Amino acid sequence: MKPALADRLSRAVVGCYPRRWKQRYAAELLDVLDQHRAGPRTVLSLAGGALSTHLDPDYRMQVRLMPHLSRDAKLGIAIFAVIIVGLPALVILPMIAKDIRESRWEPSSADSVGAIAFSRDQRIMVSATSGPPWEATSTLWDITGQARPRRLSVFEGGSPAAISPDGATVAANAFGGRAQAALWDVTRPRHPVRLAVLSAGLSGALWGEAFSPDGQILAVASTTRLALWDVADPARPRLLRSLAAAPLPSPPGNQGPPVPVGVGQNDLVFSPDGRLLASVSGSDQVSLWDVARPDRATRIATVAGPGDYFAALAFSPRGNLLAGVTYHGSVLVFRVAGPGRPARVAERPGLLASARFPGGGSAQAGPCGGACNFAAAYAVGFTPDGRALTVVIDRPETYPAARDTVFTWQVAGSGDLSGLSTIFRDVNDAQPTLAPGARIVADGALTGGEVHLWTLP
Amino acid sequence: MHGKFDGLGRFADPSLLILTSLADGPKHGYAIMTDITAFSGVGMEPGTLYGALSRLERRGWIRPLAAGERRRPYEITAAGQEVLAEQLRSMQQIVRIARQRTATA
Repeated sequence: MKPALADRLSRAVVGCYPRRWKQRYAAELLDVLDQHRAGPRTVLSLAGGALSTHLDPDYRMQVRLMPHLSRDAKLGIAIFAVIIVGLPALVILPMIAKDIRESRWEPSSADSVGAIAFSRDQRIMVSATSGPPWEATSTLWDITGQARPRRLSVFEGGSPAAISPDGATVAANAFGGRAQAALWDVTRPRHPVRLAVLSAGLSGALWGEAFSPDGQILAVASTTRLALWDVADPARPRLLRSLAAAPLPSPPGNQGPPVPVGVGQNDLVFSPDGRLLASVSGSDQVSLWDVARPDRATRIATVAGPGDYFAALAFSPRGNLLAGVTYHGSVLVFRVAGPGRPARVAERPGLLASARFPGGGSAQAGPCGGACNFAAAYAVGFTPDGRALTVVIDRPETYPAARDTVFTWQVAGSGDLSGLSTIFRDVNDAQPTLAPGARIVADGALTGGEVHLWTLP
Repeated sequence: MHGKFDGLGRFADPSLLILTSLADGPKHGYAIMTDITAFSGVGMEPGTLYGALSRLERRGWIRPLAAGERRRPYEITAAGQEVLAEQLRSMQQIVRIARQRTATA
């Protein structure tokens, strides 16, 4: 048995332990597996352990059946039940086993979607839940029929997630890994195969993943490091560069969001030519990295916001502009092409106050008096011609009802913004993402791992 | 990580090996595995290790300490030390009798 197969099987078997046992021991057992060279004996020992734990009264549900009946009566009932149930069971059990095999990684009803990503042709979409590392899942969707996305497969590992532009490879958080990304071959989308786990060059928790436009490079950001991997052959990824990406200090008086910063959509984005990478670094500044030579990548500049954490970023199609939206609802545009430092060319504050919510009141009239900004989620994107910039703010005020507010500006050649138009849509979701081209909004659900798509008018 | 006595691993009680490993101080899961291999030659697998760890914890012979990252160290309790001492006395007796019998055989 190949070590990679044994490792994969071992981790799958850990998923088969009883839930209560997993809550207590899975994290540390997976940590041991990270360091242990797995072989067939590892798989067998874990399978034996899982079986005996399921039989352990402390971990299985105890039910006393029919306490008032005599032992003989119970035996009679049992024999009768075996005869009645046994024969159909022989037919049904293999079908159930098949179902279990195929649905083992179903997102639970409690799972909220933490990340959504699209292939370049917008036929394949991946969504990833933000559950605990041993339960989080990624779902691959066929969205060619946008009104009825078809779920193709569900597999282990959750948010963050990215999909290669050709839709052949998915990067997700590795099952059980803290700062480990896993690469999945999804060329057979109903049967994803894990190709590799990327752990070197990272520490802390993962918050962002992005494929370069040519699909050759995968950028993976943790709370303290930014790693660039050569994924031309995704089965044999090669670490090219690991850079310190420690969050930069916030300016005095900044009211940062009380959520793990950087956990969002499009907070790590490549420029269209793949020569620049922008990351929010969990701070009020955007770091720009020169990744033209990924093995010599360096931070070339930081651009500052209005003393407020960045939530989402987007490059313009020509790559000369970078737009960012902040947690307090400001949109900023920076000119990043040409010589000299990036320059801020437009700023529109106060979007959060304009984002309406169910009931139709203003932000100040809401239950948190305009202080609910941490609960809002953001997406930003340019249209393919670069002439319009769209920002989506999902602002939940009365859980689970929420409202997407879509702001669209005309973008001048200089990057300045004009002609704001606004539309609203009621949703029950919390995580908006704009597909490439900023025409399709994907809203990740708060429960059940669902994603809902709608097209901007 | 298989030792030359691996074939004997099935005769070695994982609980005894774990208690012995923890006798000189707290260790986390992987450190226990490597320590056991170092002092006994037995390559204990993670499934066996965590099966035994959960049983020992339930019996109160070891206790978990605060976890750092994903690693949780375990330490032997006073009850665990007593059990270990009792086991060792029993084993010493077995060794003594085995020596006598193999010497006279």
